[in-house]
Amino acid sequence: MISRTAAIAGIGATEFSKDSGRSELRLAVEAIRAALDDAGLRPADVSGLVTFTMDNNSEIAVARELGIGELTFLTRIGYGGGAACAIVQQAVLAVTAGLADVVVCYRALNERSGRRFGQAYASPDTDAGWHVPAGLATPAAQVAMVARRYLHDHGASTDDFGRVTVAARRHAATNPHAWFHGRPITLDDHRASRWIAEPLRLLDCCQESDGAVAVVVTGVERARDLPRPPAVIAAAAQGSGPGQFVMTSYYRPTVAGLPEIAVTGRQIWEQSGYRPADVRTAMLYDHFTPYVLMQLEELGFCAPGEARHLIADGGIEQGGRLPVNPHGGQLGEAYIHGMNGITEAVRQIRGTAVNQVPGGGPVLVTAGTGVPTSALLLEATP
Amino acid sequence: MIEEVVARLTAAGATPARAGRDPVNLPMIRTWLEAMGDGNPAYEQAGVAPPAMIQVWTMRGLAPSPVDDPLQVMSELLDESGYRAVVATDSEQVYHRPLRLGETVSVRSQLEAVVGPKRTSLGEGWFVTTLSTWLVGDEPVGEMRFRILRYKPSGNPDRPATEKLRPMITADNAAFWEGAAAGELRIQKCGECGTMRHPPGPACPQCGSLKPEYTTAEGTGRIHSYVVHHHPPVPGRRAPYTVALVDLTEGVRVVAEYRGPRPEIGDPVRVFFDDGLPVWRPDVEVLGPWALEVTPTLIVSTALATRDFQNVHHDRDAAVRLGGKDIFLNILTTTGLVQRFVTDALGPDTRVRGIRIRLGTPCHAYDTLTFTGQVLPHGIEVAGRTAAGVHVSGTVEVAS
Repeated sequence: MISRTAAIAGIGATEFSKDSGRSELRLAVEAIRAALDDAGLRPADVSGLVTFTMDNNSEIAVARELGIGELTFLTRIGYGGGAACAIVQQAVLAVTAGLADVVVCYRALNERSGRRFGQAYASPDTDAGWHVPAGLATPAAQVAMVARRYLHDHGASTDDFGRVTVAARRHAATNPHAWFHGRPITLDDHRASRWIAEPLRLLDCCQESDGAVAVVVTGVERARDLPRPPAVIAAAAQGSGPGQFVMTSYYRPTVAGLPEIAVTGRQIWEQSGYRPADVRTAMLYDHFTPYVLMQLEELGFCAPGEARHLIADGGIEQGGRLPVNPHGGQLGEAYIHGMNGITEAVRQIRGTAVNQVPGGGPVLVTAGTGVPTSALLLEATP
Repeated sequence: MIEEVVARLTAAGATPARAGRDPVNLPMIRTWLEAMGDGNPAYEQAGVAPPAMIQVWTMRGLAPSPVDDPLQVMSELLDESGYRAVVATDSEQVYHRPLRLGETVSVRSQLEAVVGPKRTSLGEGWFVTTLSTWLVGDEPVGEMRFRILRYKPSGNPDRPATEKLRPMITADNAAFWEGAAAGELRIQKCGECGTMRHPPGPACPQCGSLKPEYTTAEGTGRIHSYVVHHHPPVPGRRAPYTVALVDLTEGVRVVAEYRGPRPEIGDPVRVFFDDGLPVWRPDVEVLGPWALEVTPTLIVSTALATRDFQNVHHDRDAAVRLGGKDIFLNILTTTGLVQRFVTDALGPDTRVRGIRIRLGTPCHAYDTLTFTGQVLPHGIEVAGRTAAGVHVSGTVEVAS
């Protein structure tokens, strides 16, 4: 098994902005250099590079710019943000199998100043052809179909979506790296924000960002010898559900669910031996607020349809029952396709987060929702 | 400045009653009906005017004398403030009772709301709403809420490209899209085990057979979920629009645009096809389509029959000079045509109690204006479309 065989030894990121003013390749280089510095390693130590299928920076271009010589492991994972934790899982597999010693996982994107994911987009993909011509041409609209049914099935209200974004913005307000640093919002701000795709308002949608994040994965033994306390990968899982589509899994019996998240959750608890109640804090992928509620249910933090009770009265805020995204998440910090959730999880393990959640339990990270996805569970060394 | 005038006009309340030039009379009614092409005999038999004519009785004619009309005052003020372009957006008429031959109608109007500056798809602008009340003596006989947008045309209007995003047609899904082009909802059915499935694919997930066939669905179902898309712009579509996920009667789900009043989950719907794409509509009685060739003669004769002498409705050069492609229908005529569509479809005894319409793209000479309607509990939902888009949409309230 791969559990506790590898660790994240270094993390790095650029600043998060709306216009980086430089190329995505340069962002990738800056983030990876920062991650290697953090790990106390040099480019020459790297033998594997892993990224998203959607990333525009080839592994070989990144290797050239960094002065990495030879590579023994290069791979990519598809399905947008669903790849975030899966690329770390790829690194673990490579390290554990002895194919590479040090693997860097990276994602760099000018997603606000370049192609904005929130705009209408006709994907050249047969599956998209069932939805885009009908007018479901944006991620928000595709999620809204599920969100509407969720409200109907569980008697939830759009205020319940609003509470997710209020929590994220409260956390971001005290995070100097967050785009929304110093800008908390209230539920009334959410109620007053304009419709994007009913039942989703502007403040239910995460921001669009420019930036890059990289993490360095190596074997647990080597990680122990490096300067930073290792964030041990207690579990790493990928998941796809029955009748899976990308953002439009409308044809399976229950529309208002994320069975692919449940697939990752089952593996996370099985691999690690932990239960949901053990988790100290969770970095849940929050491109759209309704999917935070549904993840809490699918991962076993509460029963189906009960998430609105869990998040009531600050349940997912700092000091609540399960603090979610203490960095502010993608709603509050930045949209780096889920990778900034992984770096925050590492800071929580190290005890260096700006909104540090007390306690010694493991930290959960999930990846893109509504798509084939992935998850990680990190813990400190004993 | 704008706020001060709004406050003054609001405080002033309704204008004094201003009487129409002529009493309700048969020659004007006959001219109006003739211009509209409306053959409904009920009005002359009962000695009453068509309800949609109400505004005609108090139109101010070719050379109106200046009056302190709040809409005119606001419109001129906004024009001077840089909001030079104007478009009417809504007209909501309610008829309390039929007007009888010989009655003299007067009108009072008041400013109801001024909202702005708002960002609109045309440019930054102000919405001005007035309420007009028509009276016979002291008795209110009808009213109209009328809204215009005064705006600064933005050089780069926030308009979607006109081309809709098209389906991806492959060997595995061609049967569905060929069916849509032919006006049929074709659902894949396994040639071995008969399992139905959507979206289709080459293999049956139930029995593994590679023998996909299709069956033509009845086209009815119920809404499983829906989305109202507002933002950002989507090519070929005018927001807000609705997309629904429907549980077909046959048991599979299909996504398509939905056209109709705001739906609820569980509502019954029926498919129709537009431009090769399936579209859902409420599963109710439909009226139309009625396609009207809009000739210059129709535009000019109806403009004059409604006593609307604005040059853009009869003078092509003037219309082109003002940025139009040709002369276009006036709002009183659009209202009259909406009424004609409903009474033609439902019969001459239909009593129209209200016409609430939203105005869209202009209807120019040589356009074909196609009306469709749906009979819903609260009224008849009517839409009139030209090739350029929706010219008029709204609700006609009829007496039960």
